[in-house]
Amino acid sequence: MKPFAYVIAQTPESAVELARNQGRFIAGGIDLLGELKEHLAEPKLLVNVKVLPGTQEITPAADRWVIGANVTLAALAAHAGLRQTFPGLAEAAGEVGSPQMRNIATVGGNLAQHSRCWYYRHRDIRCLKKGGATCYAREGENKYHSLFSGATCLSPVVSNLAVALTALGASVVVQRGAKPATLTMAQLYESAWENPRAHHSLKPTDLILRVEIPAVAGRRSTYLQMGEKSGFDWALVSCAAAARVEGGTLHDTRVVLGAVAPIPWQVDEANAWLEGKVLTDEVAAQAANLILRDAEPLAHNAYKVPLARALVRRALAKLVT
Amino acid sequence: MKRLFSKKGSPARDDPAAAPASGVSRRDFLKGLGTTALSAAAMSAGSVAKELEQTSTERVYGPGPVPVILSINGEKQIFQLEPRVTLLEALRTQAGLTGAKEPCDRAACGACTVLLDDVPVYACSLLAIEAQGAEITTIEGIAKDGRLTKLQQAFVQKDGLQCGYCTPGMVMTLTALLRRNPHPTEAEVRKACSGNLCRCGSYPRIFAAALDTGGAPTVSKLEVITLHDHAVA
Amino acid sequence: MPWPSASKHLGKPTPRLDGPAKAAGRAKYTTDIAPAGVLYGAIFRSKWPAARIRSINLEKAKAAPGIKAAIRVHEGEHQVRYYGEELAALAGMSRQAVLDALRLIEVEAMPLPFTVNELDAIQPDAPRVVAERPNLGPAESEKTGDVDAAFAAAAAVVEGTFTTQVEIHHPLEPHADIVALEGDEYTAWCSTQGIFETRNDLAKSLGVPQNKVRVLCEHMGGGFGSKIENWANRVICARLAQAAGAPVKLVLTRFEQALSVGNRPSSFQKLKLAADASGKLTAFEMVMFGTPGHAAGPEDMGGGVTFLPAPYIYPAPNTRVKKSKLAVNAGPATWMRAPGHPVASFGMESILDELAVKLGMDPVEIRLKNDPHPIRCREYLIGAEKFGWKDKYRKPGSSPGPVKVGVGCAGAGWMSGGEGTQAEVQVNPDGTVEVRCGTQDLGTGSRTVVAVVAAEMLGLDPAQITVRVGDTRLPPSGLSGGSATTASVAPAIYDACEKTLAELKKLSGIEDPRGARWLEACGKIGSNPLVVAGKWRDGLSTGGAGGVQFAEVAVDTDTGFVKVRKILCVQDCGTVVNKLTCESQLNGGIIMGIGYALYEQRIMDARSGVVLNPNFETYKLTGAADTPDIELILLDMPERGVIGVGEPATVPTAAAIANAVANALGVRVTSLPITPDKVLAALGKLPKAASQPTEGRMLDEAFARVALAPVIPPASPANVRRRKAYA
Ligand SMILES: Cc1cc2nc3c(=O)[nH]c(=O)nc-3n(C[C@@H](O)[C@@H](O)[C@H](O)COP(=O)(O)OP(=O)(O)OC[C@H]3O[C@@H](n4cnc5c(N)ncnc54)[C@H](O)[C@@H]3O)c2cc1C
Ligand code: SF4
Ligand code: FES
Ligand code: FES
Repeated sequence: MKPFAYVIAQTPESAVELARNQGRFIAGGIDLLGELKEHLAEPKLLVNVKVLPGTQEITPAADRWVIGANVTLAALAAHAGLRQTFPGLAEAAGEVGSPQMRNIATVGGNLAQHSRCWYYRHRDIRCLKKGGATCYAREGENKYHSLFSGATCLSPVVSNLAVALTALGASVVVQRGAKPATLTMAQLYESAWENPRAHHSLKPTDLILRVEIPAVAGRRSTYLQMGEKSGFDWALVSCAAAARVEGGTLHDTRVVLGAVAPIPWQVDEANAWLEGKVLTDEVAAQAANLILRDAEPLAHNAYKVPLARALVRRALAKLVT
Repeated sequence: MKRLFSKKGSPARDDPAAAPASGVSRRDFLKGLGTTALSAAAMSAGSVAKELEQTSTERVYGPGPVPVILSINGEKQIFQLEPRVTLLEALRTQAGLTGAKEPCDRAACGACTVLLDDVPVYACSLLAIEAQGAEITTIEGIAKDGRLTKLQQAFVQKDGLQCGYCTPGMVMTLTALLRRNPHPTEAEVRKACSGNLCRCGSYPRIFAAALDTGGAPTVSKLEVITLHDHAVA
Repeated sequence: MPWPSASKHLGKPTPRLDGPAKAAGRAKYTTDIAPAGVLYGAIFRSKWPAARIRSINLEKAKAAPGIKAAIRVHEGEHQVRYYGEELAALAGMSRQAVLDALRLIEVEAMPLPFTVNELDAIQPDAPRVVAERPNLGPAESEKTGDVDAAFAAAAAVVEGTFTTQVEIHHPLEPHADIVALEGDEYTAWCSTQGIFETRNDLAKSLGVPQNKVRVLCEHMGGGFGSKIENWANRVICARLAQAAGAPVKLVLTRFEQALSVGNRPSSFQKLKLAADASGKLTAFEMVMFGTPGHAAGPEDMGGGVTFLPAPYIYPAPNTRVKKSKLAVNAGPATWMRAPGHPVASFGMESILDELAVKLGMDPVEIRLKNDPHPIRCREYLIGAEKFGWKDKYRKPGSSPGPVKVGVGCAGAGWMSGGEGTQAEVQVNPDGTVEVRCGTQDLGTGSRTVVAVVAAEMLGLDPAQITVRVGDTRLPPSGLSGGSATTASVAPAIYDACEKTLAELKKLSGIEDPRGARWLEACGKIGSNPLVVAGKWRDGLSTGGAGGVQFAEVAVDTDTGFVKVRKILCVQDCGTVVNKLTCESQLNGGIIMGIGYALYEQRIMDARSGVVLNPNFETYKLTGAADTPDIELILLDMPERGVIGVGEPATVPTAAAIANAVANALGVRVTSLPITPDKVLAALGKLPKAASQPTEGRMLDEAFARVALAPVIPPASPANVRRRKAYA
């Protein structure tokens, strides 16, 4: 780590202002400290954003829930009401890393975390994402990389919450300069699809304040992931799904895949195909086909196709039972 | 910054009187602690800090050493630390508490686990400056008057350790579990220590130690068959 | 065997002597020690996998705040052979100061072409790792009988190609040393598996007499073979201490652990096996190669690349074996827990199961038919019954449902055994006892072994005995490797205690000083304590430990996920010294074996030459959630004497799991680790376009090259001494 100065921001406005001076926000620090230790980032200033007022609460309401950026993943996973209303989100939070990590890691940090591509994380490799000339993963060791890849960086989105929140149609309120702005989940990540250097669409001075989740009567949600190990391992693929289930039929279904693209992966046709359907093996299989239609497997990640297919089927099945 | 004295009454660390009585100058002493040796790299972050001091209402710390007050095992101590120093490094090299280990320094093994207000966290992935205001409990702080806790005794009796390098982290993780849930099931024990790696593979005996402490009977999965006529197949 | 058959402490569960200190976090490992005025060392490593280093400029680093010493590892030009090779080093007042200054070192280097993956390195036009010789070394060749005729006449012949990964030891305590100089004497705290070897190596590299170097290792956080070799970092630490004129502490980071302190070499094995109609093996053929990293020349030890017994434990009358080492630009291999054996076991046990399937035989049956080891045969029978093999074993692939259950078994042999160790017993007039032995306790419990044996012999309680280990001022003992520690140490303690009793009898006139008259006898020693030496002697320890394991797995055929449900292990233990630590060692071997089977693998990047997973995040170790139900059955055979068990239990685990996976699926994953991608590929579930025909062709070509390689006689004499520790 290079030395840095440290400051505790008292208001969103000052946090944003402080970050202008080659600063970085620090919340739980789990992701950021890893980057600093490898010299992937050498900020001059860390801006602690954890004590900003109103960012540590989970606030239920009839039409939407508000989750502060600094709610810890442990708190999210353990919140009884949330587990009832948005089980998919609680499950996604509960699967992040390890208990020690979840006790510290925050919602904002999880959503804004940086690439986990092992080329990006390697101190001595300068790939496209770090301003170099090439993507090493494309012809290299790409077992953990994307099936869908947009503009050249193959590093997939690995935030568990990003996937779960996308299925729930959440939005993120961000302090952008002097005023708050609201981004859809798609907007939060779209830059990662377009720009190989981006991890998400936030500028260094964009501060996540909270997440808002519409509360839809009768909606169910779920989240599944599979790693190589049984616990404390990254998802090879994850899948979140949400729908209203009425009289055995699916409505307003969203199926989202994680770890397969630089953005949480949704396909409108797949969601539309499920509208009004009774879930059968064939219906689920066709939804999986649609969502994976444009997959372009690399040399070492084709296994993600059958894996994703299985998770889509299982997530939908879990939703209706 | 208010001058602090630890409960034992020993002088706080920023007191010049705290320097050893040998021929070492105070400057060297502090350097030896690895705190005031301002590196070239620190200077550039320093200029940002200077600038901000003029313009920002928030107080800017560092990049050089700043006083950091940590409450460790019920005792307040003050250290001079750069903001970049992790809690683990502060504990191991400044506070002299080497129980927590540093096998990975990347939030991936759990051997550095300490309790922050009773909650287990990775000390390697938390800045010391951010641990201020919380009660930090390390492995050194749980055995009262040198008497091992029930869990620690169970680790010894059930052989929940081999090389012992993961042990302080495991003990802290499970101490937190047992405080929260005094009678955990095996599934709960496994889940609780999913963030702690043991390269010696002591897990089965660690589970036994935790379950035993919670009062659940455990049986060794080892059976001995004595053969005296081994030569005959 | 003279070991007492009705014992008070032997074979009982004795808690470790150092358990309380470890459980309290009080035990001081090398990483925790900080002598007054200690400086921190750090190594500057090559960023190139191959390069000619022209010059290294240390001036800026030297001038940085807090820096006290800066050295180059090599004088003059130097050719780098792998990413992470040591080039220079600094010592300074704090770790941060040194890490900051490392970034100021400037190197002028000419990058050279390199090759890091085996199937590239074996190509004739691949860049040479060492300019003077081809990457593929000469082959060791062994032949018995008439293999071709036997294959032609066999009732069944099976062939297969099996590959194993590079595995890294990754003890949780990193490699660490502290070297301090006082007057003309050096004190070194080292995390080492052999304090005396370390002392000798250090004396040599410092250019001082051996009696001027003292090595200490009170507690150790594991080694698994990686802390036998005197790696460059230790010598660098000593040189920094010399240069700075102050104690220097050099602890490697996890990143560095993955680069240059050893690993288990990879293997590519092409096997062919034949049997007659009864299932008796008639012929075996193997062509294999693997990489020990960059040092695949005359000077390397290879960590057992070609050191694997073939055919493994099941002999055939006609055999043809060709094995060769292949250099790549990567860190060196070294001994790792049962070198060669898990590698050989995976190949042999896999192909043997294929043969059983072809012959319509039960896997246990074919093993009983071919295993010449009577103890192991008994273990198969005992294990099969306890495991419920008869009920659980089904035709491969016949388990219903997307989650298929399968079972498998495999055996192991390990030639552990002891050798020369000396020990001293000191009896004080007040009846207290100190036992001194210059062994080291890696976490295997050797300290406690010393106490248990002494307590048994002297009729005391283990807790009444003070044990001193881990200091070269104590009577010498050997390396802790090859599971030889217990078998080396226990007989020496036995011998010393026996002589102590005789001496005590003489001094006190009491016929049996043990028990009720102990204090009285000790009271007659006089004011000086009684000190008696003893040493290892034949007949108290033995080798040839056999073991078998049974595995039950559940494989999710939709996702490729493998869950190990159960491992049952039957292990021949000779005289059990301490039931508690013995159990832990077996658990540990199995759990490491699970990692080898399913998770662990060093991954190199062909384009940059770096290790891509030098951490615990993507180099994956078995965790709490991955640990199955483990059932252990020890065969206690007191007449056999003491046998080490640290290694044998890790040998068959991966093979048993691989066989269970094949039994579940009806198809075999032939490459370790068995990760979901490979399971899905074996099941034919990958999209068509993704199959890679080139890899199969490259493998065939590679084996053809090994088959054509010039032949050398097996087992070069290099490092015979170290090999002995393992053989
Ligand atoms: C071994 C390991 C395993 C892991 N496993 C998983 C996993 O399975 N799933 C998963 O999702 N993640 C995983 N992670 C990533 C983990 O770092 C995040 O999940 C964690 O939530 C980050 O939260 P934090 O509060 O610690 O973030 P920080 O490290 O504090 O911040 C992360 C990033 O977000 C920025 N940031 C922080 N707060 C804000 C804000 N309010 N607004 C804008 N930007 C902000 C920071 O500047 C930084 O760039 C793993 C990490 C490690 C090291
Ligand atoms: S996938 Fe992205 S981060 Fe990884 S090597 Fe390619 S450009 Fe770099
Ligand atoms: S050292 Fe902190 S988790 Fe490994
Ligand atoms: S006991 Fe050695 S790492 Fe756990």
